[in-house]
Amino acid sequence: MTKSKNEVLQVGIDLGTSRSAISSSSGARHVVDSYVGWPVDMVARKVVKKAVLFGKEALDNRPMLDLHRPLERGLIKEGSQKDEEAVRELLGHLISLASAKEGQKVFAVVGVPAEALRVSKQHLRNAVSGLADSLMIVSEPFAVAYGMDSLLHTMIIDIGAGTTDFCVMNGRYPTDEDQRTLTNAGDSVDEHLATLLRNKMPDGRFSIYMVREWKEKGSFVGEPKQPVVVKVPVHGKPTELDITAEMRRACESLLGPISETMLDLVSRVEPEYQDDVRNNIILAGGGSQIPGLAEALEKTLGEMGGGRVRAVEDPVFAGSNGGLAIALDAPDTDWESLAG
Amino acid sequence: MPGKDRIKQQMIRDLVRDNLDTVRGTLPSGLRRRRRAVNGWLLGGLAATLVVAFSGAIGSTAARFAAPRRHFASEPAPPAAPALSAALPAPQKIDPSLFRLAIRKLVIDPGHGGGDPGAMTRQGLEEKAITLDVAERLRALLKDVPVTVVLTRTDDRSLSLERRVEIANAVNADLFLSIHINSMAVPDRVGIETFYLGGTRDPATARFARNENAGSGYSLADFKTLLEGVYVGVRQDESRRFAETLQAGYFRALREVNDRVQNRGVKTAPLVVLVGTRMPAILAEISCMSNADEARRLGTPAYRSALARALYSGIRRIIEPETSAEGLAASAAAPKGVS
Repeated sequence: MTKSKNEVLQVGIDLGTSRSAISSSSGARHVVDSYVGWPVDMVARKVVKKAVLFGKEALDNRPMLDLHRPLERGLIKEGSQKDEEAVRELLGHLISLASAKEGQKVFAVVGVPAEALRVSKQHLRNAVSGLADSLMIVSEPFAVAYGMDSLLHTMIIDIGAGTTDFCVMNGRYPTDEDQRTLTNAGDSVDEHLATLLRNKMPDGRFSIYMVREWKEKGSFVGEPKQPVVVKVPVHGKPTELDITAEMRRACESLLGPISETMLDLVSRVEPEYQDDVRNNIILAGGGSQIPGLAEALEKTLGEMGGGRVRAVEDPVFAGSNGGLAIALDAPDTDWESLAG
Repeated sequence: MPGKDRIKQQMIRDLVRDNLDTVRGTLPSGLRRRRRAVNGWLLGGLAATLVVAFSGAIGSTAARFAAPRRHFASEPAPPAAPALSAALPAPQKIDPSLFRLAIRKLVIDPGHGGGDPGAMTRQGLEEKAITLDVAERLRALLKDVPVTVVLTRTDDRSLSLERRVEIANAVNADLFLSIHINSMAVPDRVGIETFYLGGTRDPATARFARNENAGSGYSLADFKTLLEGVYVGVRQDESRRFAETLQAGYFRALREVNDRVQNRGVKTAPLVVLVGTRMPAILAEISCMSNADEARRLGTPAYRSALARALYSGIRRIIEPETSAEGLAASAAAPKGVS
């Protein structure tokens, strides 16, 4: 028997290395930067006036916080208790944003980077148990595919911050053989760019957070539409710097590994379906929005007879919407078997 | 579209089963499918029998070993024997931490050696020399810990992976630690990571495993036999726990002297030295030679001492978790094999 709409709040959560999003059956959608911070002492506690801070608020107050970005490179960082706690706090915060009504049960589908699911599945389960009345953990690219109804002869390339996850959908629940994970992703681009900029301007002072912001505003692959100019403090003085060449080099560092893995996965598909898969490649995650990336990957596919690569329309919520679709489709009996 | 709905229903069923496997602490269904394909009904039934006999545990998953399988025309029908395992109580994984077994003997394996220099820098620094140096320093540090330390090599000699495994097995070690230095395609990275035995889908890790396994001394048949026995016991869980504890302790300690190191975490890889050893075994990539700054540091005795001290910190957390607050935290964070 299906539970009435009012008894249960279904939520889909995309627990990402960089950002986490929630979509709920009530229509609420929220996104939070995946930072969790605890005040380092009583003074900090008095200043920030909260026991725990999330997202941008945590990032802005980071000097006063024990700041955690719990999913580093797609895994719970270091497997430490603090990072498990940070995952738990972050999920709890997201679920609270969905505003379940008094007495309403919460059934949650949590999408995580495929690598996290494979390596630290039990860690994740421990970290999130008890936050919802029933819980399913899925790999993020699968959630994206499910949400888009792209279940057959499709390849999802989910370019996140910590990892790039590949998943070939063959009309069945993907196994390890259908999925791949690379650590070439948003964070590796940030690190690469930071190194290039340090070499270009040894006296410039900038943090990885600034580099990340520059990348999010000015990333591209191929020919630039306009120069990428940023302001960098040099000996305390804000100085304009053209970083177009460095930005291109850092972003294009993703091309080789992603192309290689994409072509390899296509070559492993049953021969009669390879054309279909090549023409149904979907980029998801924050990296999917890098201008020129889809075109560059299509160019690579040209060597194998051509293909079509497109980016999801709503990269922020594609994963959480997919999780919500799974949550809505799962029968109550399944939720009950996973309750507790 | 009814076809699509059916596909979705089946996917959700498989997804739920996968989640239930995690809750119950059983092998992922994908792995079971592969094992069945490789080992057939006999090994499955035998494994179930052995694990049940050893643990006496009762659960609810035995039926999976004997669950009806789809057989193709060319595949011979299974004999009636699997019915035996269907009647048996379910095997459940054993949580090794329940036994609180002491680590009394540690085998440290300095990677490479002799004609196999391992990774090299343009300046001529060789991985084999660094691993040996750090291993010797680590052994010296461990003198204040009640544990016997055995090195697989104490000089610059060639040693096959098979021989390294034999040494560890011959001394009946409680823990095997192989020390290596990373070399990465992206030269600005200083990634440290720890491996325990398992499969991998990451092409970079697969390449790494191929390189490290070269010249192992094992035949393909030997290797298959070794692999088939791996998942039956608790060794993999224990290896993972040690790998997580070591990586956490090592990274934290090393970060204090070098804030550029990146924690690449704990991973699985099909490495020969991790397969053949009969005790929990891990392989640590403790530094990264492909980074110019890190290579310069590795050339200094002070930095190699720092690496040894960081390893010592990680090993102390494994050996004496009770006396280390950090160790206790790590143990608490470690995944448990029993749901």
